[in-house]
Amino acid sequence: MGFNLDFALSTIPTIMEALGTTLLATVLSCLGASALGFTLEMIRRGGGAPGLAVRFLIDFIRSTPVLAWLYFLYFVMPFYGIRLGAMTVGILGLSLYYSGYLAEVFKAGIDAIPKGQQEAARALSLNRRDTVVFVIAPQMLRNVAAPLGNYLVSILKATPYLAILAVPEMLGRAFDIASETYRYAEPLTVAGILFLGLALIVAYGVKRVEQRLLAAGRR
Amino acid sequence: MLAQAPHPLSADQSMPHVRIHGLNKWFGAVHVLKDIDLTIRAGARIVVCGPSGSGKSTLIRCINGLEAFQKGKIEYEATSLGKNTRETAKARRQTGMVFQGFNLFPHLTVLANCTLALRRVLLKPAREAEEIAMRHLTAVRIPEKAKAYPAQLSGGQQQRVAIARALCLNPRVMLFDEPTSALDPEMIKEVLDVMIALARTGVTMVCVTHEMGFAREVADEIVFMDEGRIVEQASSKGFFSGTAHPRARLFLDTVLRH
Repeated sequence: MGFNLDFALSTIPTIMEALGTTLLATVLSCLGASALGFTLEMIRRGGGAPGLAVRFLIDFIRSTPVLAWLYFLYFVMPFYGIRLGAMTVGILGLSLYYSGYLAEVFKAGIDAIPKGQQEAARALSLNRRDTVVFVIAPQMLRNVAAPLGNYLVSILKATPYLAILAVPEMLGRAFDIASETYRYAEPLTVAGILFLGLALIVAYGVKRVEQRLLAAGRR
Repeated sequence: MLAQAPHPLSADQSMPHVRIHGLNKWFGAVHVLKDIDLTIRAGARIVVCGPSGSGKSTLIRCINGLEAFQKGKIEYEATSLGKNTRETAKARRQTGMVFQGFNLFPHLTVLANCTLALRRVLLKPAREAEEIAMRHLTAVRIPEKAKAYPAQLSGGQQQRVAIARALCLNPRVMLFDEPTSALDPEMIKEVLDVMIALARTGVTMVCVTHEMGFAREVADEIVFMDEGRIVEQASSKGFFSGTAHPRARLFLDTVLRH
């Protein structure tokens, strides 16, 4: 029972149906992880008790497996009366998990901004929020474009974890076909190739954005 | 351009803008400012000089609250600088600061650098903010670079933009922290020329600098610092005509020989 190309090709439309779910999970998780990661980093930077708490939280997040987060949110939270849909839990789990990593990325990006920038903002009487929005964040984004892009690709590649919650994303769909037909090689190969294609497209996009940002820096 | 009319800020010459009483500051165990007393009158042009590490930059950074201090008082006309952050913010609004390293925002155009605080702090509408900014950019003789980014400008041009940016908020006191120390020699003059023109408008300024030619031409008061103390405080004339403290004399000889 060798690799059957015709069968492989026939699985493409079915697996592609799940493309939307994969993309949606990726985009929302990226947005969630970025927003949460940035917020965590801002609180950590603020120092004090909240800063310390967030420092531990970030270390905690980064030291636990993403599967543990997904299982916990999906199977344990209902005991406390919090019942969320599989897709919601999946996006929440990935957002939480990657926010810990992105907080570190943002930290490095902010640390790389010369101290004089904050001082200039203070001397101009900009308040804390305006300083972050108009001075720090734009320069941080330029500094973190490359590592941020890598994590966005990582998030895309982590979406198959959502299969354990029966979210119909691409790898899960491929696995469904496999268990119905008892043929694993073809659907899993197709899913793998589709992920490869997606990752390459995202990576290319990230590279382009990065180049444009760097060019803007040299203006 | 700048020399035509008196600066609107130059109003009352007799009223002190800022009074510093018994200011003391420590960096950890290091006592960097010792019992500083200084009065900055409206319209005063004070040059602060002294060997490096004497505390002059720290002093000027205390005046607008960029550095905290442990003892003493800095009083602005109605408000005093200290632990209360709201008062500090109020006092800071009355000062404009020019840094040694320019500190322009690299991701914003020259114009946007100038309008940012006008729009976000003074809440001016975009049109008006741009008009004010262009007026100050014209005053520092660089209006044609309004759409350029800082990285496209020379150091001297960047520092002139930084001066315009600080002027936009209409500060009562302009603070200069070694504004020409990071510049190539041929660019120092263009910045000093702008500062001299600014001084002629009557704006109150405190300037930390080693440019003794500038001090002689512009300052009406010289403050000489050494090891965290004000060692000598004299009129410009008195300071340069040789009545200075021996420590100041020595410094002056070294600086002028270059």
